[in-house]
Amino acid sequence: MVAYGAPEQTSSWNLVIVPARSEPGRRLAVVAGLLAALLVAAGCTSGGRSESGGQATGSTAAPAAPAQPLEVELVATAKVPPGGLSAKRAAQRAAPGLEKFLDRYLTEAYVDAAGGKADWNGLLGLFDTPVRASARKQLDALSLGAAAPTVSALRPSRASARAVVLYGAQRPEAATVRLAFDATADTGQGSGQVHLRSVLQLLASGEGWRIAAFDSRTGPPR
Amino acid sequence: MTPRNDAGGRARRRAVAWVTAAGLVAALVAGLVVAVSPRRPATAQEGAAVTVQKAHAGSATPAFKKRIVLLTIGSDSGAPKFGRGGSMESGRADALQLVVLDAAKRRGAVLSFPRDSYVPIPGHGTNKINAAMAFGGPPLLVATFERLTGLTIDYYALTSFDGLTDMVDKVGGVQVNVDMNLRDHFAGAFLDKGRRKLTGRQALAYARARKTLPGGDFDRSRHQGQLLLSGLGTFQRQVAENPARVMTWLGVLRDEVRTDVPFPELLRLALLATKVPPSGFRNLPVPGAAGMAGGASVVHLQPSAYSLFARIRAGKLS
Repeated sequence: MVAYGAPEQTSSWNLVIVPARSEPGRRLAVVAGLLAALLVAAGCTSGGRSESGGQATGSTAAPAAPAQPLEVELVATAKVPPGGLSAKRAAQRAAPGLEKFLDRYLTEAYVDAAGGKADWNGLLGLFDTPVRASARKQLDALSLGAAAPTVSALRPSRASARAVVLYGAQRPEAATVRLAFDATADTGQGSGQVHLRSVLQLLASGEGWRIAAFDSRTGPPR
Repeated sequence: MTPRNDAGGRARRRAVAWVTAAGLVAALVAGLVVAVSPRRPATAQEGAAVTVQKAHAGSATPAFKKRIVLLTIGSDSGAPKFGRGGSMESGRADALQLVVLDAAKRRGAVLSFPRDSYVPIPGHGTNKINAAMAFGGPPLLVATFERLTGLTIDYYALTSFDGLTDMVDKVGGVQVNVDMNLRDHFAGAFLDKGRRKLTGRQALAYARARKTLPGGDFDRSRHQGQLLLSGLGTFQRQVAENPARVMTWLGVLRDEVRTDVPFPELLRLALLATKVPPSGFRNLPVPGAAGMAGGASVVHLQPSAYSLFARIRAGKLS
């Protein structure tokens, strides 16, 4: 996973980046931790101490979560030419660059866009030239879009991608990526969910990955 | 300490233990409920759910402003599986389609040329058009077509019997509307009229059948154009179902086709092709008449063929 220095990039816009991880394994760990804490507490109580557990209830009112990097969870597979790398190896080689690109996309489209900071040129620079004009006209389907100025803080809760990479003799050449991104956005009127589901067709160029075509949806969860 | 006091202490300790245990169970249940309940975002203004962004949907494929002309070539060589030696480039071009795409209007035409078309070949007098590649490879064939049609050819794509059959099999077959009952022993084509999914070998047979067809070489070249457009339709259906199939098809093309299309352009064209309906293409056999030249049977292109080329040059694809 590729981590970006979100706090430095976003502190002036009061953004709080909370990586969302709600996997079952993490929930189990929470349960286990809770159980251990209760056992310790029970042990203290059974020792005859009479103090109430007032401090414990206070601990659920956690302070604001510290800003943490946006991370895209990527699962990649690859198609390789005969006699080249194995598909597994090719996918491993392609994954870091793709993760970095997707991190950058979500940062430009959402994290940096919150507060109306973005002029969208950074985002549009991620598109291949023949599709850039179309992307400019459809920013609402690709990013926070027109809602960006109303958003003061954005907390990602899920960023995941599945990629099929076409690998050439030496390097990745193209990829199809299904990207899912969910976040909570705070506005002056309250908070709400934002949501992106995209299929991106990517071209690997000398300057890195570029979006050559897209099919994208944004808005609140259905 | 008296026995009575001792008993009272035990009772108190037992009561404390029970209360503690009950509290522990209640806390555990509460903890579990909190832990496994759906995650709610910790927002600044909890409970005030607002619509931050309305629903939007958008899509785009690469935009091309120019007309694109692609020469597709089927070589009779370089196919070991069919006992055909040599290289694809040095063989005769037995399947010749000129694909003209108006990218802005997303429509086009497939001009199917009889392989025996008797035409001028730069530096080689007049000969069958399929000999041009044997004389000078794809570049000379391209030059021959450019001189014949007056069109600038942007790219060529060349494959063989092996390439075509492998390509069709690797993408899982191609849906073709077989337009006549075929019983052609020479080509190995045994197909009934109707819409069917062809394997690689069946597709090759459909593209090669000639001797038993009423229109001979003209029907064959028309079938070749039809196969090309059927491939486009199959591609679009597969990509609509699973967008990652674009990578599958590009991988197959890379492995089975030799082309001068640079990869970035190939990807863009493939993405554009997802949005150009096959019905937007006309399959146009180039008009000709059977004849003889130097003792060989040839096809003389008719004046209407040159009118067709003029219309295409003028951008009239319909």
